[in-house]
Amino acid sequence: MGSGLKGFLKRVFLHGENPFVDRYATNRLRPPGAVNEERFMALCIRCNRCLEVCPYGSIKRAGWGTTIGTPYVLPEDKACYLCMACCRLCPTGALNPTLRNPEKVRMGKASIDASICYSRLFFDHDVLPDTEGRKIGAICNTCYNVCPLADKAIMLKDNLFPVVLDGCVGCGICVEKCPTRPARAVNVTPAGMGKVDEAGFYFRKARKSYETSVSVNGEARTRVLKGSELLDRKYKIEGSTEPPAFRFPYDVPDSIEDWE
Amino acid sequence: MYRTYRRAAQLLVFSVMFLIPLLNLYEIYAITGTFYAVNIGRLGIADPVVIFQALFASGSLTAALLSAALFAVFLALLLGRVWCGWMCPYHLLADGAAWTRARVRHKLFRSNAPESLVVPGSLKANMVRYAFLVLGTVAAGAFGIPFLNYVSAPGILSTEAMIFVKERSVSLELGFIAALLLLELCVSPRFWCRLFCPTGAFLALFRMPFTLRVGTDTAGPKAPCCKGNYCSAACPMGLSAFREGNNLLCTNCGRCIDACTAHGGPGRLHFKGFTS
Repeated sequence: MGSGLKGFLKRVFLHGENPFVDRYATNRLRPPGAVNEERFMALCIRCNRCLEVCPYGSIKRAGWGTTIGTPYVLPEDKACYLCMACCRLCPTGALNPTLRNPEKVRMGKASIDASICYSRLFFDHDVLPDTEGRKIGAICNTCYNVCPLADKAIMLKDNLFPVVLDGCVGCGICVEKCPTRPARAVNVTPAGMGKVDEAGFYFRKARKSYETSVSVNGEARTRVLKGSELLDRKYKIEGSTEPPAFRFPYDVPDSIEDWE
Repeated sequence: MYRTYRRAAQLLVFSVMFLIPLLNLYEIYAITGTFYAVNIGRLGIADPVVIFQALFASGSLTAALLSAALFAVFLALLLGRVWCGWMCPYHLLADGAAWTRARVRHKLFRSNAPESLVVPGSLKANMVRYAFLVLGTVAAGAFGIPFLNYVSAPGILSTEAMIFVKERSVSLELGFIAALLLLELCVSPRFWCRLFCPTGAFLALFRMPFTLRVGTDTAGPKAPCCKGNYCSAACPMGLSAFREGNNLLCTNCGRCIDACTAHGGPGRLHFKGFTS
């Protein structure tokens, strides 16, 4: 099925696709425990209780179109911290009320863009070009460090660069903390987008991120570098004295009082 | 007499609308939600029309869905549409709009004549109301989206209150409420409650012989007892209050009873139902 008007009409009239509910976008997720998108749109009564109880203010309210009033997590602003407070309160079962275990959540799947990921650039090219073309070096691995399910959802391949595993629940904390700008090196694709029968047209965009994730018990596990082998690999990486131009959401003090 | 109680109840519910998100800001989660669906402790209360739509749109029946609507239905069965007359935050604003309109008519145009309603007659008004409800529900079923939620005035108001308290902003839907109030002010008072509100229409369906209603002790008077017909003039829904207490439009607001006693009427009108 193609895109464009003809493809759209075909999908709606020949395949019975609901034109009102199939709206997927990267880094726009339903709260944890959400049923599939079509059922979610039918069941969600826009009571915004999930939004109200979210202690992190992660859940935002859609403000336009047929999805108006429904909850979204926008991990670029604020990711979901998997406290599971919202699921319990959903009155209609649009969010699975029995879900307690954060590892069972499937909001989406993170995928790492190797062309801008600091660690990946460093590993592949030994360089990290900044805006002025200088070489700056950093093994960032922020995504691995902030992941609440580290080693289940994300691992450091060869102990050097992050790889997303099957256990990724799509909470988006890595997206929130990823230091690359303007685009993030890690992005979350919503869960529904990864299913061909549900997402239809949108699946084309999502396929890659779902195919690149590595099975938790697959060969990725066995290729972890350890000990002297790892040290050798790390020594080979060229570094520079310039610190990377990270932007912090707070003022970085030049010196700390009472520190000698 | 009932007016004071009613205003107190309305203002209480109106302030609860702001109080719930405020409590939640201080991490007190004993009561959560908006007027689409509220949780008080473990008791879930939801707008039944919203639940009905979710049933229709999703095509599935779950215990959680049904139990959420149960309390509101129970309340409607017992006390009639007290939600509309005594609690609904939109009704309070509509009262304000109607009061302002009456003042303007009195001050500027020296007119105290009763309003002519857009759709006169309770039968026609009910027909418009239920056509709107059925249309909305069918559309919800066909497209899998609860359309009537987009026009649920109390739900929108309480959501806006929540967003205002939590995020110090309001969203686009407040424009809908503003447009409704402007229309009520300029064109016809209380047209939304009378002709469209899906929540009110749905709640009115739960009516039993024992449900609280306005009536007289003698069986159905055909004509008003007094010349002034004050009870009917006081009715915001345009009912002939002395005989239409059982109408689906009646919200049990008690204005007719107040009007009757205030004008030294025979005082025959009173609430009756499961109590008598």
